[in-house]
Amino acid sequence: MGPSISLNDVGLRYENNIVLQDISVSLDAGKCHVIMGPNGGGKTSLLRSILGLTPFKGEINVNWTDSKGKIGYVPQKATFEPSLPLTVLDFILLNQSRSPLFFNFNKKHKVKALAQLARLGMADRAMFRMGQLSGGEQQRVLFAQALLDNPDLLILDEPTNGMDDQGVRYFESLISDLVKEQKTILVVHHDISAVRRLEATVHVVNGVLIESGDASEVLQTNKIEQLFNHYRSTPVADVVNDSTVNSEVA
Amino acid sequence: MDTLRLLASQGAEAGWLSESFSYAFMVNALVAALLVGPLLGGLGTLVIAKRLAFFSEAVGHAALTGIAIGVLLGEPPENPIIGLFCFCMIFALLLHFVRNRTAVPYDTLVGVFLAVALAGGAALLMYVARKINIHMLENVLFGSILTITDFDLLVLGVSCLLIIVGLMFTFNRILLASISPDIAKVRGYNTHFYDYLFVMMITLVTIAAVKIVGAVLVGALLLIPGATARLMTKSMGSFVLLSSLLATLSCLIGTLLPMELKLPIPSGASIILVAASFFLIATLYRIIGGRS
Repeated sequence: MGPSISLNDVGLRYENNIVLQDISVSLDAGKCHVIMGPNGGGKTSLLRSILGLTPFKGEINVNWTDSKGKIGYVPQKATFEPSLPLTVLDFILLNQSRSPLFFNFNKKHKVKALAQLARLGMADRAMFRMGQLSGGEQQRVLFAQALLDNPDLLILDEPTNGMDDQGVRYFESLISDLVKEQKTILVVHHDISAVRRLEATVHVVNGVLIESGDASEVLQTNKIEQLFNHYRSTPVADVVNDSTVNSEVA
Repeated sequence: MDTLRLLASQGAEAGWLSESFSYAFMVNALVAALLVGPLLGGLGTLVIAKRLAFFSEAVGHAALTGIAIGVLLGEPPENPIIGLFCFCMIFALLLHFVRNRTAVPYDTLVGVFLAVALAGGAALLMYVARKINIHMLENVLFGSILTITDFDLLVLGVSCLLIIVGLMFTFNRILLASISPDIAKVRGYNTHFYDYLFVMMITLVTIAAVKIVGAVLVGALLLIPGATARLMTKSMGSFVLLSSLLATLSCLIGTLLPMELKLPIPSGASIILVAASFFLIATLYRIIGGRS
């Protein structure tokens, strides 16, 4: 069973730029939660705060039912130098095993890594350099990496970026399977129609938490333009007040 | 070592080995080359992956100041190991410490540190020149196989052992921490620890290789075999192994060649020229093969 996550008055600023303010929300265990919002709205910063990669104000608790479980993470973007002879298989082995790549003669490690790649349709690219892959293929490999330890909490930052239709469909079925296994999934996504297909709770963030709820409630056609307004024309504090009004209306 | 030197001498007398092997210093130098070559080549791949070529060069150049400080504090000019070790380690750790706490681009920061270290070294050398014959420093700066003693081999052996054992357990994590630090952190790896560990390894191997390659040129031997291997390999495993092989061959050939050809050039320069030849051949091969 995946953990629940509670955020209490979470805030984040880079010098004078307020990125997040007063985020308080509870994310239920064993469900898929989608964070949406306009560019620069603080979605990635929120994920990074939950992962402990960015210092933040306030309180974030990841509540595991038993002992602390495994976390899988797919970053928004990973840059791989094309000339570095780091193959897809190397990258998976790096994450999977401590045996140094130049001294890894353990066949079991390779078999496990290849099986993981096959799951994401990347086994035939195992000997390609990471830097030679397309963006969508790199995302698949990063996804394979995140699933290596059969994580209970999966945090994905725009995982379908650059993926083809087949990849997106596979991603959606995988998310559905993982939710059935009661894993907690937290995903930043910007494709509204794709999010509607997922059975997920949607949290719209634009500096503050604008709205939370089932996808069918939050992503109503008449609300979308307002929810995804790129510009924060008013100070964040005012937006908080507005969002409270919006929530009450909803 | 005595047995090895005796065997080499007998081999030379019997005509199986060239006359050079009858000299004890040559056997010492070749053993040093065999120890330091694989290590420099292997670590060099991480230097390339982490884009720290300029950093390793800076640590090598900082050795000039370390040597000057060591000599001024009374260490023997042919082996000022404490001054060298302390200054290079402080230089490298301080540079990395500042890097993590400033928005200044890393290459600019390394450039500033390098310039300060070189300027400090140049200033101190004026005082050093009053105490010793300044030409003695050439051996430390550009390498000299004549100066390698059994004690140096012992220090080299222990350093190599420490680094190799360290690398066996940390290679994957150091690499992951450099190519994808966020994933490494989420997996629970202390990326700062691995960064500092790597910096310490680079500094240690720089000091260990000073006698044979020279402080100024050791950065090049960390870089060139790796750069050559990168052109020729298709996976990280073969990258590391080929880089180690090329660095070892460069060290062996570069040590042996001047003796065999009776060329009056320092071992460091010779080793780097051999390594550079491999790089040139690999580059031409790639260009001609159209696989750049």
